Amino acid sequence: MAAGYRHVGRDVPRPDGPDKVRGRYPYLADEIPSGALRGSVVLSAKANAVVVKIDVSRALRLPGVVVLTPQDAPRVKYNGGEWFPGQDDHPDETVLTGHARHVGDRIALVLAPDKKTSLEARGLLAVEYEDLPPVADLLEAADKAGLLHEDGVASFPGKIEYGDPDKAFAEAFRVEEDVVSTQKIHHAAMEPHAVLALPRPGGVVEIRTPCQIMFGVQHVCARVLGLPLSRVRVLKTPMGGSFGGKQEAVLEPLCAWAALRTGKPVFIGLSREETILSTRTRAASLIRVRTALDRDGRIAGRKITALLDGGAYLTGSRKVLMAMGKKVPRLYKIPALRFEGEVVRTSTTPAGACRGYGSPQIHAAAEIHADLLCRRLGLDPVAFRLDNLVDPGGRDPSGAADLGNARIKECLETGLAAFGWDDRKEPESCGRLRRGAGFACCTHGNGYFKTVYHDESGMSLRLLEDGSAVLRSGVHELGNDAAGCLAQIAAEELGIPPGLVTVLEGDTLANSYDIGCQASRGVFVMGECARLAAAEAAAILLREAEKLMGGPVRLDGGTVRLLGPPPAGASAAGGAGALPLGECVRLVEMKNAAAVEAHVRHSPRFNPASYGVHFVGLAVDTLSGLVKIERYLAVHDVGLAVNPQGVRGQIYGGVQMGLGMALTEELAYDSLGRPMARNFDKYHLVNAPDMPDVEVILVERGEEGGPYGAKSIGEIATVPTAPAVANAVNRALGTSITTFPFSPARIVASLAELGGGKTW
Amino acid sequence: MIIELTVNGRPCSADVDQELRLIDFLRDNLDLKSVREGCGAGECGACTVLLNRKPVCSCLMPAFQAAGADVLTVEGLESGGRLDVVQQAFLDRGAVQCGFCTPGMILTARALLWENPRPTRAEIRRALAGNICRCTGFQPIVEAVEAAAAGPGE
Repeated sequence: MAAGYRHVGRDVPRPDGPDKVRGRYPYLADEIPSGALRGSVVLSAKANAVVVKIDVSRALRLPGVVVLTPQDAPRVKYNGGEWFPGQDDHPDETVLTGHARHVGDRIALVLAPDKKTSLEARGLLAVEYEDLPPVADLLEAADKAGLLHEDGVASFPGKIEYGDPDKAFAEAFRVEEDVVSTQKIHHAAMEPHAVLALPRPGGVVEIRTPCQIMFGVQHVCARVLGLPLSRVRVLKTPMGGSFGGKQEAVLEPLCAWAALRTGKPVFIGLSREETILSTRTRAASLIRVRTALDRDGRIAGRKITALLDGGAYLTGSRKVLMAMGKKVPRLYKIPALRFEGEVVRTSTTPAGACRGYGSPQIHAAAEIHADLLCRRLGLDPVAFRLDNLVDPGGRDPSGAADLGNARIKECLETGLAAFGWDDRKEPESCGRLRRGAGFACCTHGNGYFKTVYHDESGMSLRLLEDGSAVLRSGVHELGNDAAGCLAQIAAEELGIPPGLVTVLEGDTLANSYDIGCQASRGVFVMGECARLAAAEAAAILLREAEKLMGGPVRLDGGTVRLLGPPPAGASAAGGAGALPLGECVRLVEMKNAAAVEAHVRHSPRFNPASYGVHFVGLAVDTLSGLVKIERYLAVHDVGLAVNPQGVRGQIYGGVQMGLGMALTEELAYDSLGRPMARNFDKYHLVNAPDMPDVEVILVERGEEGGPYGAKSIGEIATVPTAPAVANAVNRALGTSITTFPFSPARIVASLAELGGGKTW
Repeated sequence: MIIELTVNGRPCSADVDQELRLIDFLRDNLDLKSVREGCGAGECGACTVLLNRKPVCSCLMPAFQAAGADVLTVEGLESGGRLDVVQQAFLDRGAVQCGFCTPGMILTARALLWENPRPTRAEIRRALAGNICRCTGFQPIVEAVEAAAAGPGE
């Protein structure tokens, strides 16, 4: 699609691939320095309890064991979801706590010279609890908030409103309503959480962590430790997946404090069970959507109330809530909106960032609602969407950034034809199987421009003396080839092979500030910053080369060429009218006493919307309640695919995660607040036999403000999956299921309700 | 107890604790860091190694049970500086994202192709059922195994 580019639009191999297939890509747990103490976090066995006593005597008999308890720990309360000083998110978390607020809460830290001793010592601790009632029910959580937190805050509200929703509802031809609930989900990055902290000379603490927002980790740790930011060095290490699970500061403050306290390097590596119990989850939600419709089936107004389960600590959940509301005006033309939400805290594993940041939840509600209201009113769900979806060049009536080249209708129409919707839309029965099809639309953002947060990326690019280049960026490679994508963009701008550009990942003491790998800003904001840095470096080179070579020059595939004939009496430099890039850089350094090094700070002036539509064909076994996905099509408006293979990879993975949300994944708790899933035996990820082949269609119509027209894909790829499946199941069965996951039991129960007991 | 075994083609002998898991023996004693722990319960397959050319979860197996066996990790797959066809196909097909599951995935696929050089897509998916990937949706991995199978072979 990307005509005229050397590298952009091509399947450029990722730079870390060869190491990864050789098993040599060094994750943090593969490179623990000798002498590092091994930390085992003592996790609460109770959902809500005061830790009365921790008997450490037996543990301390083991050689070299140290046990740190809440009495030893800083009392500073923090919010691990902050990424910039002054954000003022409610602080309610401490590195260790004497009031355990969920099973898995951190109540002590055992340190030992080796892992075996550390685990053995942890096993020798005797913890005495005084039980408090668990706060497990989302609807009761605000009333019971005092049982869980002493800060007197019942819930954390948020509101977005524009137009006159009350008038729209008063004058509506019809008002439709649905209530949708989504579950808590484990990110399930294959690499469990790990962190290493080392005391360094000069009072610096160095934190090595596979994180997504190194400056956020720096900020939170500095706050907890009472250190200036300049003494907290965060190095982003190779990462085995995150999906938002490693976005917030989770273990870093504890580990950094332990390292400073002991004066030794401390490594904490969690098991899967510990990762599930004690890190972060996708927030569960209960969302009521009401839509006022006019006589033509057009949306006149919408009112949404959303209740979000923040888990035991607020973390970034209020930001997630607001992110949910902000999506609403950007998919359908909604003249009047009232979005009111509330985050409550429960005695469950804290929620936080998770791929899509609220977008999967709000779209699940809105898209199931769209299908169900059409069914109730006898409207065609395709026509309803085409009548109401936004258009290219649309504005966001809430005052957020313009929508840009919003190609959602093109995505839908392209997908309908490719999927053969008209031939598949009617459900069919075949014995006890029912076949049906469904689809769902969605939108997502591209950074923070025109939000309450500022957006900023700083990078520098230096051309080296052999014509290669180094891009110093704040990028965090998450597994998505973020670093490779920046190299590809810089290489395009410089006219050199991507393999000659090395992208340096995050280091808070060496890099310029960057907001971090969040908010789907990677390609649109950081990619553009990389392009600008490379373009600036090329401009410096040409300016300096002109002095050297005696006339205007251009950069052409690794060669600097004079535009005209060599001037009479030209010096040796460029006398032949052309210089290899590396030689030119050397001469600039030696003769012009200049460096070919650009520093760029980029704050975007655009934040367009990305779009996608997913189509599903499936069969439901009405006896077992099992769902088999038989056909899957994902259509995405990506502006331009910098690396099409990488873009498709994001979509395939997003679908896998979305199918899990739709059908199999759930972190459930019993009445005592005890997690029912602690590992992958009870937490079911969709595996290879259950994954369908996914067809992908990319709509590439360009976008202003991003590199070469590119915009985001990684988060949005998982957003429409769950509602598309939900709509297909409900169409196949005639049910109106609105509770995730669509588990076999739930499906069979809904059929029984529908059919008076007989399911097939 | 003393065990003797072959790891990546090299004979080795070691004094191992009865409780030592094969994964810890390979990672800590032999420094084979490609063997990674994703769940510690035999559910995710990240720690897969080949034992006499069959995939096993090294997190579930005591090291002493590998006595006398031929153990292969992904470090031993390359021969003469050339990647195995499965490794190369993973690179070509974009089957690698975060890379954490990749060694286990490659070894399971390698074992499948030794056993069944021309598997169908369904057979590939079934063989990979015990290896979880959260990044790729499996599709590029399945395509890579297909491509490796269609290639010139050994």
